[in-house]
Amino acid sequence: MIGALLYLRLTSLRNLVVYRIRRLREPKYLIGTAVAIAYFYFVLLQRPGMRGVPAQSAAPPLASAGIVGMAVICVGLSALALVRIAFAWIAPAEKPALRFSEAEIAFLFPAPVTRKTLIHFRLLSSQFAILFTSVLMAFFFNRFRYLGGNRALRAVGWWVILSAFDLHLNGTNLTLSRLREKGSGFLPWRAGVVAAIVLYALAVAWSAVAYASAFPPGGFSSASATDLFIKGLLRSSPLRWLILPFRVAFGPYFAVGIREFALAMIPALCLLALHYYWVSNTEASFEEGSIALAEKRAAAKAAAQKGESPKVGPSKPKARSGPFTLSPQGPPEIAFLWKNLLSMRSSLLNRRTVLVTLWVVFCLSIGLRPLLASQARSSGFDIYGPVVVMFCAMLAAYTLLLGPQVARQDLRNDLPNADILKTYPLEGWRLALGELLAPTAILTFLLWISILVSAVAIDSRGTLRWLTPGLRVTVALCMGSAAPFLCFIQLIVPNSIMVLMPGWYQASRSRGGGIEMFGQRLIFGVAQLLMALLVAAPAACAAGLIIFSSQWLLGVGPAVAIASAAVLAILAGEAAVGLWWLGWRFEKFDLSNEIR
Amino acid sequence: MIEVEELTKRYGSFTAVRSLSFCVRPGEVLGLVGPNGAGKTSTLRCLAGIIPASAGRVRIAGYDLSVDPVAAKRALAFFPDEPRLFDYLTVRQHLAFVARIYGVARYEDLARPLLEELELVEKADILPGELSRGMKQKLVIACGLLHSPSVIFFDEPLTGLDPLGIRRMKDSIMRRARDGAAIVLSSHLLHLLEEVCTHVLILKRGDKVADGTIAEVAAQFSNGQAGVSLEEVFIRATGGSET
Repeated sequence: MIGALLYLRLTSLRNLVVYRIRRLREPKYLIGTAVAIAYFYFVLLQRPGMRGVPAQSAAPPLASAGIVGMAVICVGLSALALVRIAFAWIAPAEKPALRFSEAEIAFLFPAPVTRKTLIHFRLLSSQFAILFTSVLMAFFFNRFRYLGGNRALRAVGWWVILSAFDLHLNGTNLTLSRLREKGSGFLPWRAGVVAAIVLYALAVAWSAVAYASAFPPGGFSSASATDLFIKGLLRSSPLRWLILPFRVAFGPYFAVGIREFALAMIPALCLLALHYYWVSNTEASFEEGSIALAEKRAAAKAAAQKGESPKVGPSKPKARSGPFTLSPQGPPEIAFLWKNLLSMRSSLLNRRTVLVTLWVVFCLSIGLRPLLASQARSSGFDIYGPVVVMFCAMLAAYTLLLGPQVARQDLRNDLPNADILKTYPLEGWRLALGELLAPTAILTFLLWISILVSAVAIDSRGTLRWLTPGLRVTVALCMGSAAPFLCFIQLIVPNSIMVLMPGWYQASRSRGGGIEMFGQRLIFGVAQLLMALLVAAPAACAAGLIIFSSQWLLGVGPAVAIASAAVLAILAGEAAVGLWWLGWRFEKFDLSNEIR
Repeated sequence: MIEVEELTKRYGSFTAVRSLSFCVRPGEVLGLVGPNGAGKTSTLRCLAGIIPASAGRVRIAGYDLSVDPVAAKRALAFFPDEPRLFDYLTVRQHLAFVARIYGVARYEDLARPLLEELELVEKADILPGELSRGMKQKLVIACGLLHSPSVIFFDEPLTGLDPLGIRRMKDSIMRRARDGAAIVLSSHLLHLLEEVCTHVLILKRGDKVADGTIAEVAAQFSNGQAGVSLEEVFIRATGGSET
């Protein structure tokens, strides 16, 4: 039976590859593939400084940075795994499931095979994905030369880690299902396991802190001392016993030589065998949950293929009152703003996310103040202002560059309703304007927050003495007035791509992965960045020229104000042209024709 | 009133509709029929201003669709075969949104009887995701009729409706026609066309094969036989095969 399942997997894989190769005849897939291959070649395969050097024949010993890097990877992954497992116990699925496709369920569940065979099939299927991910991870981390090691051994190391995690999660799901079936003791068991995980995490943290506090002060002054600390920490009791399962799972990955690797593989394989025994011998019902999961995944895939928005909010939206009262008379654009603000819930950039982000930023800024104040007392230089301004600048940059990809409450979300929108008695530009208002408002709000916080936090003593409070307010007001235009223009770009190349856009939204999809998304990202530079260049040049030429006569404040007026005029012109073009193109837009 | 002159729609080198001309007067219901791929949906979408025609002229309520699309669209309503609704707007919010788009003052006075007629009053504050397909279809109809259109296009209007819904839809179409609306409906259900339509237009591979009242079209393909059904007429007119 396993032979038949293997046949199914391998044949499906071969057909998928053939299908993907055949569709390269379409330019959108060919170009996407070329870009993705170029990216992978330059980012994953090329190791800086390794040109002409053959792949490591003899593994170099780990450098100090490598040991630190390895420790970071190990701690990070272990913590993530622990959190994920704890989450599985805290909030188990209503019907624990193993992942099967709808077709697999239709063919295999009624087939004369045992439940154990189905579990084997599931484990076998996941191995294909794990092997692919392992190779990719090995190539990716191979870029960091200081991590040392051999690429092939690292790939096997990743396979051990990912397989152990996959088996553990499957075992957890099946065990939870078994406990639920038994009825009694489900809650106490869960509470007990969660408590054990918390106690375990506390014990690990306590052991690490106890070892670190015993380490001499200033012990991290040199790289070799840091090495010594990490090695000592891993060997210290009781930590070395507490982290034994993780040490076993990470053993092959850490190994830098063939012999060390072979020795590490023995306990690692034992760990995998134990997990396999656990999964394959847990008698639990998974069929119902698997059917529900398969239906959910199929529905999500179908929605993505139809161009509908992937649902990131709650699966069942709730009716809400509008953000404001919409009167039946007035500019119709406002109706789109109202409608799209109502749909914010479905977006990653929804009201709750924005408020939580702002709350975290606020708490961080309050919490950082005393910490940085003590640093300022000792060093004589207060970095609180620069740190806050830097964070705000980062938030603003992300808002402008990535925000338009996330805030999609515009034409992109309404693509499935394009036919209905086109029957509305509105000129194209008015419809486009209405659709862009909601995401513009959201992104502008974030930019204004960044500008406001920067203006308040910036320290205008010392070298920035020229930045008087008056000038600060002027600059903040000028930047604030330009913000909506910048956001609006940035939003025109992805919407233009959507109406200009709906086939590309549609393909890039589908959940089906593949190297060509990755390449297409990369092209869109670069296009967004280039457009941002192109749009900002004339305004920036004009502002620079005006400020440079007039500040001597008028002073900096008035010069900035005049420059801002010029910037606003340029940005408004660009926005108007972009909007007119987007509307015109939407009027001519025929989805059924474009995505043939 | 719908006036179509030499309407042509091309997709690249493929011609979906070729030089189509016809007229639908107020009170008339024209049934658009043809095999799969005959160009029915392309025709309807061109008439509703969803896609631009490659050539020809369409006048809706006296307004040229290519010259004054906004005025023309103000007079029409289009009902697609699949109800397309906004996921996050309730029934009532859909009506508020459409009222603002079409500038329908005091829309509540119009919406209330519409909701009652379509049995949506109790569902007024729920989202489309909680509505059955038939209910969604009714909501689309309520939105489309809110601005009292004089020209109405239906694309497969009975898809997904239960027997009672079908009966009500037929009554609704005939009532709008009696009230003076010019209606075009596309459907594969020939018995619906026989019941509801005053005129019929048969398309095949983008060409008009027949056009006129049902009696005229039947006479054209009856070969002198009496009592030939529309189904028989359709098979004879289209050669009994797909495109």
